[in-house]
Amino acid sequence: MSQVKRIVIAAVCAALCIVLPMAFHSIPNAGATWLPMHIPVMISGLVAGPVAGAVTGLLGPVLSSLLTGMPAAPMVVPMTCELLTYGLVAGLLSTFVRTGIITVDLYVSLIGAMIAGRVVNGVLRALIFSPGAYSLEAWLAASFFTSLVGIVLQFAVVVPIVVSLERAGLVPPRYPEE
Amino acid sequence: MRSMSGYMWADSPLHRAPAVAKLVGLLFCVALVVLASSPLELAAVALGVATLVAVSRVGWRDAARAAWALRWFLLVVLVLNALLFSDVDPIFVLGPAHLTAAGLAQGARIVVRTLLILVLGTLLTATTRPQELVSGVRSVLSPLARLGLPVEVVALAVGVTVQFVPTLLRESRQLMRAQEIRCSGVATRGIMRRAVSYIRLLIPMFVSAIRRADELSAAMEARGYRLSTPRGSDGRVERKVR
Repeated sequence: MSQVKRIVIAAVCAALCIVLPMAFHSIPNAGATWLPMHIPVMISGLVAGPVAGAVTGLLGPVLSSLLTGMPAAPMVVPMTCELLTYGLVAGLLSTFVRTGIITVDLYVSLIGAMIAGRVVNGVLRALIFSPGAYSLEAWLAASFFTSLVGIVLQFAVVVPIVVSLERAGLVPPRYPEE
Repeated sequence: MRSMSGYMWADSPLHRAPAVAKLVGLLFCVALVVLASSPLELAAVALGVATLVAVSRVGWRDAARAAWALRWFLLVVLVLNALLFSDVDPIFVLGPAHLTAAGLAQGARIVVRTLLILVLGTLLTATTRPQELVSGVRSVLSPLARLGLPVEVVALAVGVTVQFVPTLLRESRQLMRAQEIRCSGVATRGIMRRAVSYIRLLIPMFVSAIRRADELSAAMEARGYRLSTPRGSDGRVERKVR
């Protein structure tokens, strides 16, 4: 995949980071529970690599905050760090994990990115954004319990979307047929 | 009139000002908001922001739109700070919560700062066309190119993102309408059924978006657009046909 296409995919996924939360807007508290902004970041990383994933993770929350006011200004920096980690790690893992089975590769990359992003978010909040006021219980509640529906949604849709994109011929196949 | 990217057509000094000046001004104003701590300082900054809203001819209602969307969040922030910030000299006590004057002041300070920053952000997008915003971002970031940062990549990504938002929003509405026609009344169902309806839209939305990205990148490459090309003497990227 060319560099231009990687960056354009990253930008389009960043645009989806703005559009998807607007589509989910009619569901109460959708942002914290359904995590609609996470899905385009993961897909950008899995499809176009770590740099594209990181660019999507960086631009999505920043531009969404500027254009729609959500996430709120105080949440932008921690959220950007978390999403940037998701995109970067999803891209790195999808580049290096090669089991021969596409769905296994993608699920390993997705789970690795989900864990890495939550760990980075917890560490940054504990050390920088809310020092002394952030506990392990708060991290577990915010990262796993409140967002359980969002985690299930990501397991259910991210990999099928990436496989659909491959089948539609829009991204190069992971294991080209000889 | 407001476009989907947030730009509002009007003739005002803020609309005519260059995007670079507005971006730098935004950073300066945000720094002022963050540094203002006493009520007098915050009131002075708020007066400045109100003057900008009046000068911009955006209208109070539109300038406060983003802030209004966050009213419940801001109320929760105010209440949590008022009850949990301090336990010294409480006005009243309810279990672990202590309503204090210091907590109320801290909550009000955070809410006012957030409101001012939201209004400033809204003013920037309401008075600057997306294309101007992109070229402004490019100009503001250009000194960082000397440090090896990929400014051209960031500017391209910002430009494509801002331009794709209205397109994708329109497409998502069309897909929702199509689904409503097929399944009747997505927006009027219960929360879970509504959520499942939205999830069904994700695959067509992504396939359509990536298809557009594929077409755009193919068109750019066909015209010789390359990210790694050196800068020309006039400061623009040289576009070479392969």
